[in-house]
Amino acid sequence: MVENVLKAENIVKKFPGVVALDHVTFDLKKGEVHGLVGQNGAGKSTFVKILNGIYNPDEGRIILHGKEVVIKNPMEAKKLGITLVHQEVMLVPHLTVAENILLGKMPLKSKFLVDWAAVFDYTEKVLKELGANIDPRLKVKELSVGEQKLVQVARALADKAQILCFDEPTTALTPMEKDSLFEVIRRLKNAGKSVIYITHYIDEIFDICDRVTVLRDGKKIATETVSEIKPEEVVKMMLGREVSSFYVAKKKRITEIANKKPLLVVNNLSTIPEKAHEVALKNVSFKLYKGEILGVVGLLGAGKSELGKALFGIEKIVTGRIQMKGKDITIKSPLDALKYGILYAPENRQVEGLIPEMSVKENITITTLNEISKFLGIIDMKKEREISLKWVKDLNIVTPSLNAKVSNLSGGNQQKVVIAKILQTKPKIIIFDEPTMGIDVGAKVEIRRIIANLSEQGISVILLSSDVEEVLSLADRIIVMVKGRVTREMVNKGISKDEIISLICKVEVEKVAA
Amino acid sequence: MQHKRKNVKEKDSFKSATVFLKKFFEFEESKPLTALIALFIGSSIISPHFLTWYNQRILLLQMAPLAMLALGEAAVILMGSIDLSPGSVMALSGTVAAIALVYWHMPVGVAVVVGMLTGALCGLINGLLVTKAKIPSFVATLAILVAGRGMVLIITGGTPVVGLKPFTFLTSDIAFLPSMVWIAILATIFTFFLLRLTKIGREVYAIGGNEDAARYSGVNADLTKVIIFTMAGVLYAISGLMMNARLEVAYPWTGWGYELDAIAAAVLGGVQLTGGVGSTLGSVIGAYILTLITNILILLGVNPYYQWVVKGAILAIAATVLTRGLRYVK
Repeated sequence: MVENVLKAENIVKKFPGVVALDHVTFDLKKGEVHGLVGQNGAGKSTFVKILNGIYNPDEGRIILHGKEVVIKNPMEAKKLGITLVHQEVMLVPHLTVAENILLGKMPLKSKFLVDWAAVFDYTEKVLKELGANIDPRLKVKELSVGEQKLVQVARALADKAQILCFDEPTTALTPMEKDSLFEVIRRLKNAGKSVIYITHYIDEIFDICDRVTVLRDGKKIATETVSEIKPEEVVKMMLGREVSSFYVAKKKRITEIANKKPLLVVNNLSTIPEKAHEVALKNVSFKLYKGEILGVVGLLGAGKSELGKALFGIEKIVTGRIQMKGKDITIKSPLDALKYGILYAPENRQVEGLIPEMSVKENITITTLNEISKFLGIIDMKKEREISLKWVKDLNIVTPSLNAKVSNLSGGNQQKVVIAKILQTKPKIIIFDEPTMGIDVGAKVEIRRIIANLSEQGISVILLSSDVEEVLSLADRIIVMVKGRVTREMVNKGISKDEIISLICKVEVEKVAA
Repeated sequence: MQHKRKNVKEKDSFKSATVFLKKFFEFEESKPLTALIALFIGSSIISPHFLTWYNQRILLLQMAPLAMLALGEAAVILMGSIDLSPGSVMALSGTVAAIALVYWHMPVGVAVVVGMLTGALCGLINGLLVTKAKIPSFVATLAILVAGRGMVLIITGGTPVVGLKPFTFLTSDIAFLPSMVWIAILATIFTFFLLRLTKIGREVYAIGGNEDAARYSGVNADLTKVIIFTMAGVLYAISGLMMNARLEVAYPWTGWGYELDAIAAAVLGGVQLTGGVGSTLGSVIGAYILTLITNILILLGVNPYYQWVVKGAILAIAATVLTRGLRYVK
């Protein structure tokens, strides 16, 4: 029996409007690589942030080497031997590798002067231990992203870390850089260190981890030994299975659609991502009919959000053609998209959907200020009240008042505010990006019902979702995306959840098998 | 029995007082206003000269130009941008108006319009640098700060423009107050309602609150920024004209360092530098506080050099109160 280095019991963390972690229990053994998987919003990052003192838990306790500890801040975590290797590279680009590794703990001689000889000796040694061939005298900005990642690991070692948490470390790495990172992780393991490895790539779990814990919607689903489980089973746990009554079965309109002309035709759409973690779309083509719900399924990193953003003029389109009612259209900005009645409900409501300091009322009418302003652009406050009151009633938005700050609402009600401001523009096409992610079950049902109703009213919906059952219950047709490409298009009739799951993780599973 | 009833009554009045205070502190401007009232009462107590009509008139005259700068600055900061050009733009606009009057022999009315157009142009350039050239507002307006001052020195040859008597219509009284004080009051009301009641005002708060969300909601953020920067330019220009009137001379170094006073006034007035929170009314209260501090220190015969230290200390205290609860700031 290998000893438990760390045990976290019943950890609860709440943020305004969402329970990020719901009584999560987790243990880590000495010399173990423990994978932590889950979709966006599952709570993986929040969990390691709690271990590293970046967040403080609302409930629960952490036991380190058999003793209960309270980790108030990152400094304390470091003292206890816990370090987080951040997803983004957190280094000072203009300083040398050695300076970055020893930042804040430079060896000194005669109390004030930096002992440079010791600095370089030490960092050379640490890098060598890692098997990383990097000159500590180079500036960090001259390194590749993969090398920078290794420098981050070296810094963790210089902190005398016993537990290293990696948050999605491979997102920006090339396959070769990934291999050398894995080699480093294996060395760490052999040296008796413990590693928590966050990822959403299933194949990485099977490459590097000993055990895996699956989180979903802030809850722990299971901890399994990797050698005793199949990739499909992990994916199934990640994507979840809610009680079937939480899904809203919509009458499919496949026969009606077959005879009509498409509302929107997308041909060979390709994009260049602006941010490192985004995926490039490659020759994406599909059609969208009036009043249908087109489900788009895929794992994180499949390019679903990027597709939604491209159609809304946020992602940069390099090639491809978009036709609406048979006419070519160009969408370069959200303003263009709005002109054609295309709207986007972003996955990240807080960051991209709402203006947190503004009231519910002001957030609902922000899309249609022209409609509610009179002579000289003066806003008709009465009309604004009426409009927002109507939506609060229609969509059953629970808020203390119309003037309440939107940031005080629960996640589900915030999502309804986003939907209200979109519907207020009388849209033709709505792109929903993970509309029910991170909100409570009751609100999920309501949101699904709203989406089903929209299609009844003749609005076309593109539903980007990693909840396969949600898509199966709502969509008329489904397209499958894998790594920026559409790999399958089908009518939603007689397809099982397992079939879709095998389609969306096809590439990854093949890789694991090989 | 009688005694009991009295008690209840007292309790009620206490309750209504707390309700009133609670309501009062829901207003964004309540904190700066409380500080202002406290300073006002304190100053009246320490100096017998403070609360005289003569002194208050001077205070308002001194404050009016700063208030104009603070109004423009606050509008820009509310969008989440910053403007470093107020001092230079007010100097350039004032100087151009002075030259139009003295050297080009234009009627004063036309000179005023020329000055305001100069300010508008500077603001427009700021707006275009930010939205079209995509330069962060800090750098874009820093460029105008430097270049604007250079322009003033070029067109004046570094010497003051004298003979600006015609501008003094701005200092002459209308209904007990100098007309420029009335102009500052009108500008305060105008910008307050523009930002609170109109479409563009709503857009300003939306951009400052969350620019991504605002853009995704169809707000034409670029257009709004250009308009607000231009409006700010006009407000700075009016400030420059007020200086012409007050001094009857256009000094090339007028407004040197005033951008800092303008930003300080906005911060003192509760405008958050990250944008989206605060009001232009608050910034005028901030401008009043700054002017009051200068005034009372002079009345008390404190060495003028200390003014800066006191102002800095008060700004730091105010900022500490306003940023309570944040994890860390940059």
